[in-house]
Amino acid sequence: MDKIDLSRITLRPFKLEDADDFLLFAGDDQVTRYLRWKTLTSKEEALEHIKDVCINHPWRRSICIDDRSIGFVSIFPFSGDDRCRANFGFGVAVKYWGHGIATKAVKMAVPRFFVDFPDVARLEAFVDVDNKASKKVVEKAGFQKEGMLRKYAYHKGKLTDFVVYSFLSSDLPIVEP
Amino acid sequence: MEGTSPVESSKDEYFNLSFRQLDVSDIDDFMVWATDEKVTRFCTWEPYTNKEDGLNFIKNTVLPHPWFRAICIDNRPIGAITVTSNSGNNRCRGELGYVLASKYWGKGIVTRAVKMVADTIFEEWPHLERLEALVDVENVGSQKVLEKAGFQKEGVLRKYFIHKGKCRDRVMFSLLSTDPRI
Repeated sequence: MDKIDLSRITLRPFKLEDADDFLLFAGDDQVTRYLRWKTLTSKEEALEHIKDVCINHPWRRSICIDDRSIGFVSIFPFSGDDRCRANFGFGVAVKYWGHGIATKAVKMAVPRFFVDFPDVARLEAFVDVDNKASKKVVEKAGFQKEGMLRKYAYHKGKLTDFVVYSFLSSDLPIVEP
Repeated sequence: MEGTSPVESSKDEYFNLSFRQLDVSDIDDFMVWATDEKVTRFCTWEPYTNKEDGLNFIKNTVLPHPWFRAICIDNRPIGAITVTSNSGNNRCRGELGYVLASKYWGKGIVTRAVKMVADTIFEEWPHLERLEALVDVENVGSQKVLEKAGFQKEGVLRKYFIHKGKCRDRVMFSLLSTDPRI
């Protein structure tokens, strides 16, 4: 595999023009396996998802290489007494796995989110106990493992254990290599 | 759902402990614990200051609740224990809560009540796989109750929840339907 220069990785909001690129990762079972999303099956669905979900989302960014969308970071703040925390998720096209792109994107996203949402104190990522790759990403990005929640929820029909990780605004700054 | 259990305290007092529905006729007993600052310290609510609010709580929250039981001694309510339910992908999970009049603290009553719930809730709710409780990091008394009742401490969730205006850490405990009963 050729090494990828990670300075080519940027984050930006999604655009409708990303639909074809979006389908490349959102239409891939390997990418959506641990996501709550149903795998997309057409460009129409990709356009709908970008329009209805990505653009209206409180904080979702496209992970780009040379400004082409290859993945996403999604952060969703809760409300009421839960408003101090936000749920953190991400995904990258399989073609770009193994280069540290997700880790880089997460490290870029975290401080930007806390600037945009200063009242949120906690980011939390619930990672399927079997999802070794994502555990490595969040750990390298500086999330703290808090524990394993046994039989916490169903995921696509399967009763699942989740490892819960958190990143607090007070855990900043992340030390860049 | 009623269950009875004799409980012996360290002072060799014998308690005839049972569960039943809490009703509007129990309002005076309810007000004993609901007005007590010591009791409500780690609750999400402030102490009640008048009977009418108490009656509204019983009518609007207790009666329609999926699982709310008065903890009784000699059939008189001295506290309450609850399990909330979830839906969809979260239906496997229920959250436990409890409150007890401070006069009865330190006698193992809540521990016994939690064990009584654990013995019956998984049969009553066959879809339930996990009973969980989130406890304030400073609420050591409650953490001890759950440990003695056989719950597993899974971790501390930092700055998880806003409690009375402050962002607080919560300790997560769980008991699975498959866990051994103590």
